Amino acid sequence: MIESIALILASTMRLATPLAFAAAGEYIAERAGMINISIEAMMLGGAFSAVWGATLTGSPVLGLVFGMLAGLLIGFIHANFSHRLTVNTYVVGLTLNLLVLGLTSFLLDVMDLSQAQVSKFAIPILSDLPLVGDALFNQRWPAYLLWILIPGIWYAMYRTRWGLNMRAIGENPSAVDATGIDVLKRQRFALLIVGVLSGLGGAYLSVGEVGLFNQNMTAARGYVVIAAVIFGGWSLKGTMIGCLVFGAADAMRLALPALGVTLNAQLLIASPYILAILAMVLFAKSNRAPGSYGRPFVRGVV
Amino acid sequence: MSDTATRPAPPAPPKSTGVAVTTAIWWRRALPMAALYAVSLGIALTLAALLVMMTGASPWSAVEALYEGSLASPAAIGLSLDKAAPLLIVALGTCIAARAGLFNIGQEGQLLIGAAVFTTIALFMPGPGPLVLIVALIGGALGGAFWAGIAAVLYFWRGIPVVITTLLLVYISAQVVFYSVSQSWWLQEHLPTGGVMAPQSDLLPEDRWLPHFGEYPGLNFASTIVIALVLTVIVTVMLRRSTWGFRLRMLGMNRSAARRAGVSALVFGGTALLLSGAFAGFAGAAMVGGGNHRMQPGISENSGWDGLLVALVARENPVLAVPVAIFFGMLRAGGGFLASTGVPRYIVDVVTAILVLAVVFPPAFRLYQRQIATRRQAKALAAATSGAAA
Amino acid sequence: MQTQHAEAPSGRTAPAVELRGLTKRYGSIVACDDVHLTVPQGEIHGLLGQNGAGKSTLVKMLLGLVSRDAGQILLGGRSVEIPDPLAAAELGIGMVHQHFSLVNELTVWENVTLGEPGRPDPARTKALVRSIGERYGLTVDPDVRVEELSTGERQRVEIIKCLRRDPNLLILDEPTSVLTLAESRELFSVLRRVVQDEGRTVILISHKLDEILDATDHVTIMRSGRVVAQRATCDTDERELAREMVGRELSKWVAASALGDLDRLVDPSHSTDAAMLDRTESIDEDRFPVRLRITDAYLSEEGRPQLQGLSLELRAGEITGLAGIEGNGQRALGDVLSSLIPLDSGTVEVDGVALPTGRPGVMHRAGIGVIPEDRHQSGCVLDMSVAENLVMSTVNSVATRGMVSRSRIRANAERLIEQFEISTPSPDTPMRQLSGGNQQKVVLARELSLDPKILVAAYPTRGLDVGAIEYMTQQLHAAANRGIAVLLISTELEEILTLSHHIAVIHRGAIVGRMRRVDVDAERLGMMMGGQAA
Repeated sequence: MIESIALILASTMRLATPLAFAAAGEYIAERAGMINISIEAMMLGGAFSAVWGATLTGSPVLGLVFGMLAGLLIGFIHANFSHRLTVNTYVVGLTLNLLVLGLTSFLLDVMDLSQAQVSKFAIPILSDLPLVGDALFNQRWPAYLLWILIPGIWYAMYRTRWGLNMRAIGENPSAVDATGIDVLKRQRFALLIVGVLSGLGGAYLSVGEVGLFNQNMTAARGYVVIAAVIFGGWSLKGTMIGCLVFGAADAMRLALPALGVTLNAQLLIASPYILAILAMVLFAKSNRAPGSYGRPFVRGVV
Repeated sequence: MSDTATRPAPPAPPKSTGVAVTTAIWWRRALPMAALYAVSLGIALTLAALLVMMTGASPWSAVEALYEGSLASPAAIGLSLDKAAPLLIVALGTCIAARAGLFNIGQEGQLLIGAAVFTTIALFMPGPGPLVLIVALIGGALGGAFWAGIAAVLYFWRGIPVVITTLLLVYISAQVVFYSVSQSWWLQEHLPTGGVMAPQSDLLPEDRWLPHFGEYPGLNFASTIVIALVLTVIVTVMLRRSTWGFRLRMLGMNRSAARRAGVSALVFGGTALLLSGAFAGFAGAAMVGGGNHRMQPGISENSGWDGLLVALVARENPVLAVPVAIFFGMLRAGGGFLASTGVPRYIVDVVTAILVLAVVFPPAFRLYQRQIATRRQAKALAAATSGAAA
Repeated sequence: MQTQHAEAPSGRTAPAVELRGLTKRYGSIVACDDVHLTVPQGEIHGLLGQNGAGKSTLVKMLLGLVSRDAGQILLGGRSVEIPDPLAAAELGIGMVHQHFSLVNELTVWENVTLGEPGRPDPARTKALVRSIGERYGLTVDPDVRVEELSTGERQRVEIIKCLRRDPNLLILDEPTSVLTLAESRELFSVLRRVVQDEGRTVILISHKLDEILDATDHVTIMRSGRVVAQRATCDTDERELAREMVGRELSKWVAASALGDLDRLVDPSHSTDAAMLDRTESIDEDRFPVRLRITDAYLSEEGRPQLQGLSLELRAGEITGLAGIEGNGQRALGDVLSSLIPLDSGTVEVDGVALPTGRPGVMHRAGIGVIPEDRHQSGCVLDMSVAENLVMSTVNSVATRGMVSRSRIRANAERLIEQFEISTPSPDTPMRQLSGGNQQKVVLARELSLDPKILVAAYPTRGLDVGAIEYMTQQLHAAANRGIAVLLISTELEEILTLSHHIAVIHRGAIVGRMRRVDVDAERLGMMMGGQAA
């Protein structure tokens, strides 16, 4: 019993890690007032590019870099269409999602991709802890980046001028504009960060956990990430808890059959999405969304 | 009294100094725009050509294949119309929701649910074919409406963004549909000799198919496109002329003013969402009834997504949606043909998406240019006056 | 008219601000036309003018929010360029905004430091907020979130935010419209200190004559984008100012309402205006039937109480003025009467019939017309045409079998445009292109065309110029004479005193006092509005 719990915990962590990278970025974007649905494209593009990069260079580490760059590129395209040219952000996001889904599927068909995976790194002693040791301290090494990334983002959001501006933009962009800060530029920058982090999340999924790329590999994980931020009530801690919850749902999906529990396969596959919706139903209204949440900033309109 | 003047007075109508002058002005405005479209579409097509070249095929042969598959023969034209019809129906629903200021982007899921409900009714309901067909089509629409209704309820009850719920529901619907065709008590195919069980339903009895016009190899197409065009007229008239359309527009443009005037966001916005779901569900039903004649998990071929894109490219204008849907339908029809030449069919998805970006780019870019230009003028003036003062 | 430069005392430093021939056009409209203005260092300079006179545009050019078409700006004798708000701040120009530019969810100190370069330093910023607060008497807790502050306190934060950058020139745009009388006085004493003790310069933008006369050293009057007069405040009187501002003589009644001349209103013996005296005649209490009765209304939003046991009666043919400081439940009351929100408890009755509050359109159907305080936000749809806006709540009346008739919409629009003298190029013009006064007329026309039993007018003259105010007050008066029960919600005491038969004072979501117009004692009214028992 203990063993299987440890197993599920480990699997939860593995599945939550890609979500956590992307969610860390999406958290910033949402605090700056945006709902960025192209996060799905960023993750999928990141996942593909990582394997492609690893195939090209033979190095899974460089693959991660490729993944981040792919996310950055998608974030750049999105940001310039929606927050420079003021095209509706959902139009851009949706189109990018379809574009990247089509493109990666196409390229997967016409290219030969090899397998590549970054190595595991077990932290001595800690990884031998019962129950949580394997889950927390015996992961693919990029997962440990989260331990720096998450406090880093918290610090940036709550202790720096940059974070103050981002939070203020999410609440009242007109007021921020009046102080002479270029709101759209900040929002574009936030989208670039989402791009890099979601690209990394996607890359972690492919060259981290799985070792190869499958067609539509992320399968709406990007939308689950958005749900995690909403579930977490737009706090970083809540967002990360959301990622763990959704990771656990994913882990249960894999673990239940092994535990002898028979549930319908389709129900299992759909469970993270159902759970994401339920989680939002339970927690969305008790939390306050940022003041200008989901509304594009237009100068001179209050 | 300064108040009697309107703020930006309308520009004085050009004095009739001759037609030539106005045409010249028109050209000066239209030419850069046309050039922008040309460049933007050119880049999009070049990218597509590069992708085709990756497969070893020549772009020109790809274009030929697209033409072959979509326009070259009467049958191909019929296929294009068949592919365009569901896109148009989905797009019409999207226009309605957009008018109310709501962003339903889960048509793909609503379409799948509509298809499943249609198939279920068409297979199980006893009675005369045409009656069953009509009931099943309505059922499909209701199924789609129900699926959109979930998002509507969550939005109005708990304030969860429609965007995200409709998206998540797409992925749930895919599993629902897969479940339906893999359960022997529901839709799974009944094979007499216990062959390999594909996840699909039985073929519908022929009297429950949508009427079909023409015969292969001549011009032939399902009646779906006719229904779609009739719906276009109805939707256009309702949105432009009816009190319902008037109130919907009010709601979309200013919620609180609408509410003061007695337009409930819940009733009108909710209805708009349900209707957009119903249109998507109906599109799914028509795809089964008019095309495959059986339920398959992959039946949609992204029609829900692309129908949404049609509406976006058409700027949520139902009339404009017709040519856009037909163009997208041609791409799809040609894409099937293209696949047989060894280019993966995903190329069509890629080209569609790139084209959408290429089409939204020019007007947005012009607007941006104008903003930049005013800013630059201001700076130039500032520099000039400070130079003069120094 | 020739521009008159106020002579700066010789031997002193160059003027703080000098504008030479500033011009700004929007399309064919000239917002500022060859404006020359000189403001000496160390004085409070009033900028007086109606809405649309060009004051805001002028200030926006100074703040780098709008680029000018021609002219020159000199600060301290030096020609400068102000491409954006940051440059304005660097040049020592600070603005206290009329519509607060604060982020509600952030704390006071975070708001104060917003928009500055460098790392935020909580300790230093908080200390600064406290020290500025002490120096000028602007006390406010730096750790509190702005959303928890009162309107007056928010303005203190705005001023601190501005002073914190140590500006040489402070610009205040209609600063008293949201303040109590006491708060306004306090504000002017702060400004006086800023000018006298520290030699800063203040530009005070206002449309209120008494305020300009009380607080400024010099005054510049603008009309239709031009400077029409410049005076030393001590050499002028309100009569002259009013004439220059409007360009004609006004009836005293309207002048009082529009320009804020409180004293004359409170003491009827000062008035010789027949209309004024008529207003103050006593009216028999029970002569008219009660149209609207609100009993024991309670309402809270997001956990904050808005209405706390409010009871109110409106009688046919009477104007009831609801006096009170902004933010004491007026908005909630207006929203309830617009069927926007339901009451938590209590009843709303029209002609004795209780209404289900909060159900869309129910108040409208019961005969309550509303002119909302924020006409842009909820009174009209700016992207729809004038004609469409005029039938917004009565679409069915111009439709047959669910289909709207364009010709009937147009006919209705043409009738109302003529009747209410709405100035619009055509009925199909988008609402956005109308001036504020005409937008307000559209809303008024629509509400009155419904033939309401009750008319709620929330801040009906806010942001309007004198002509439009004159029109508005006449219309409200006429509505009451036709037997409509009018509820006038306003923070401008002058407006209420001019128009109302009865006055009810709202404080913290309840009616704390009631009096007939004839019995008004300004002192007592002011105390009630401030929440003191009187």
